[in-house]
Amino acid sequence: MTAMLFILQGSTTLALAPLMVGFVRFFKARFQNRRGAPPWLPYVSLWSLFAKEMTITRYSSWVFRSVPFVVAGVAVLLAFSVPTFAYGVIPEPLSNLFFIGGLFALGSVWLVLGGMDAASTFGNMGSSREMTLAAFVEPALYLGLSTIASAAGVWSLDGMLAHSASTPWEAGVLPLAFTFGALLLVVLAENARYPVDNPATHLELTMVHEAMVLEYSGPYLAFLEYASAVKLLVTTLFLFALVLPFGLVHAGASPLWAVVWYAVRFLLAAFTVASIESMIVKMRFYRMQEYFSLAFFVALAGLALVLLQRGIF
Amino acid sequence: MNIDQLCSQLGFVRSKGGVVEIPSAELAERAQALTAANVPLAFMYATDERALGAGFAVHAVFSLAGSGFLTLSSALDADAPAYPSLTRTTMAAHWYERLMGDQFGIVAEGHPDWRRLMHHENIPVGTYPLRKDFAWNTKLAQAKEPYPMHQVEGKGIYEIPVGPIHAGVIEPGHFRFNVRGERILALEGKLFFTHKGVEKLVEGKTPEEAMRFVERISGDMVVGHTLAYAEAVERAVGHTITPRAARLRVVWSELERISGHVFDIGNMAGNGTGFTFMAAQGFRMLEELRRLYESLVGHRYLRGAIVLGGAYDIEEDAQEQLRSQLEKTERELKTILNIAFQSDGLMERFETTGVLSQAAARAYGARGIGARGSNIPADVRRDHPYAAYAELPFAVVTEPAGDVAARFKVRAREVTQSLALIRAALASMPEGSAVSTVTIKQGDALGWAESFRGAVIDFVRLDAQGKIDRLAVSDPSFMNWPLFGELGPGNIVPDFPLCNKSLGLSYSGTDL
Repeated sequence: MTAMLFILQGSTTLALAPLMVGFVRFFKARFQNRRGAPPWLPYVSLWSLFAKEMTITRYSSWVFRSVPFVVAGVAVLLAFSVPTFAYGVIPEPLSNLFFIGGLFALGSVWLVLGGMDAASTFGNMGSSREMTLAAFVEPALYLGLSTIASAAGVWSLDGMLAHSASTPWEAGVLPLAFTFGALLLVVLAENARYPVDNPATHLELTMVHEAMVLEYSGPYLAFLEYASAVKLLVTTLFLFALVLPFGLVHAGASPLWAVVWYAVRFLLAAFTVASIESMIVKMRFYRMQEYFSLAFFVALAGLALVLLQRGIF
Repeated sequence: MNIDQLCSQLGFVRSKGGVVEIPSAELAERAQALTAANVPLAFMYATDERALGAGFAVHAVFSLAGSGFLTLSSALDADAPAYPSLTRTTMAAHWYERLMGDQFGIVAEGHPDWRRLMHHENIPVGTYPLRKDFAWNTKLAQAKEPYPMHQVEGKGIYEIPVGPIHAGVIEPGHFRFNVRGERILALEGKLFFTHKGVEKLVEGKTPEEAMRFVERISGDMVVGHTLAYAEAVERAVGHTITPRAARLRVVWSELERISGHVFDIGNMAGNGTGFTFMAAQGFRMLEELRRLYESLVGHRYLRGAIVLGGAYDIEEDAQEQLRSQLEKTERELKTILNIAFQSDGLMERFETTGVLSQAAARAYGARGIGARGSNIPADVRRDHPYAAYAELPFAVVTEPAGDVAARFKVRAREVTQSLALIRAALASMPEGSAVSTVTIKQGDALGWAESFRGAVIDFVRLDAQGKIDRLAVSDPSFMNWPLFGELGPGNIVPDFPLCNKSLGLSYSGTDL
């Protein structure tokens, strides 16, 4: 049963990741008075990318060609190790927050290398910006997750979800409101969304994530786009499952509500990202330290609250 | 002070056509004296007079606000045309002198930056397309001449080449950034990828035939270019348009200004910063205006609105449709501008970004938004009134800060003023004919119009058969492109697209 749930959770994530991207775009279009493409368009786009031939500059090394596989491999691992609708199914070490953090870092570093390998200016610019941002993201990411870990008493994401689901909502989730706020800021940055990066821009000079993948085409590009879709889905759905731990599946029970609540969290996550991107302006790059300081201090406030609550201070 | 007083003060003798003939050796110092007297250089062009038994001639046009334009002309040698460069003391001559070097082979001696401008690497040395003995359909050999660009060297400094092909649906242009980290140290553009040869193609055509070419100089600035051209032709032959036509020209001009500014407002705030709301709303409103133009004149970009001898007429019921659409646009624009000005994130991106100092704008002869956003009240509608502008109430909009926010505010305020101008023009529209027949004869004159990007100045010379002998067009984008070298450095690379959009220049208009 547990093994089946483990496989089901991972494969659902892998199957639905492009749909999440599609729904974000769909909601954004609606915010802009446009009808927008159907939410399943990303599947078609990925398919057509797979059918295309690749152009790879001869001034690139094996690093360039290995990046899509490493990044997509990391995405598959993430799909199986980050819980999105079930708890008590992922082995503790696989879902340990430092392991997950390491996976994120591994994916980013290879993407950065891929951006630099072809030696194009834009790729290097994107890589330089990505590393700058990564240095800012990590403190807030680990602080936020550790806060939840210390409230839940476990180091695994799976265990955090179990804690959220098994304690009453007011007692389990409300004290962590600050932490969720901080993690939302981190999730937006990790996924190259507003206000840190603009995934829809055509302006090469302003790009971060897109600049690193500019040199990729065809199936390799599909790998990278698919990987970023998986990342978006697992990070947002995990966060929303922590905040709304209803209808979660576990080894003992599979409530009928599970599908409904999954759909609710899925759409809510897409809607939240889309509305943030429609309502705010992308920040000036030199203001990023302020954005991440905000994320860090909100996470710190969350940690202080949790420690106070547990009577440690 | 008017032009006659200025001339007597500086000891100039004006010929019958109002032109001051100056020996080429004196041109530079005269230009410096005029600039010092606050009569800035507006335009420079050259002519090939060899068919008349002379050589070449270079003409420098100065603008005396409130009184008119003063042209200094110098005859040059037919075999080795050269004169001392104006650029050493008058920065605004910088690109014009390089352009005349490419077009006519006229050498500005002592020019501090004597490189090719319009001709890229592939144009052989000695190609002077605007000389009369160069056939427009000459097939050029493929050359590989150097086209050096500004470069900074040092530890940690790298170059970013961008374009000429861009990811968006925009025209081609190459930009070379010299950057340290994210900070721009130097920036230069290489334009002129879209050469159409308008100035060459219209030679020998009748003014009516040439109108089709002028309409296509810059796709979204049809009225600006056609109006300056029509005014020049009419002034050359001494034709006066009807009072109704003068009012209609104001209406068409201001309509084009509204759609130009609405696009730029949406483009700056929307695409420049990623505030998608502004782009969505701005482009939606622009589309409504384009459809209005189509129903009024049969063309979404107002081709055919300005004709020689007048303008396309707007009937009574069409005027009603125009008023109601403009009311809707005004209401909606007010709402979205309120949202924009209340968005701290947006204002934070705009303010202190891309600052153009007043001194730099003045030195480079910036036009339109580029000048008025840096507190220079330059506007040919007021400085040299044409059409019916002298009779209609309006004030020149300026903003002091010189940053992207200032240029955004100038546009927002000018739209309001354009709406008022259109209403005033419609309310006082006299009866009568909108077009009068222009009798074409020999003559030459300048014509000008304030387009939404800034002043367009045209020089037209008609020969004895009434055909165009020379059409020289000065587009505001040509004057404003070099400003990037001034306002770019100091900004960070990701802010450049915003700086670029804040000037909103045309590539096609620059490269005739």
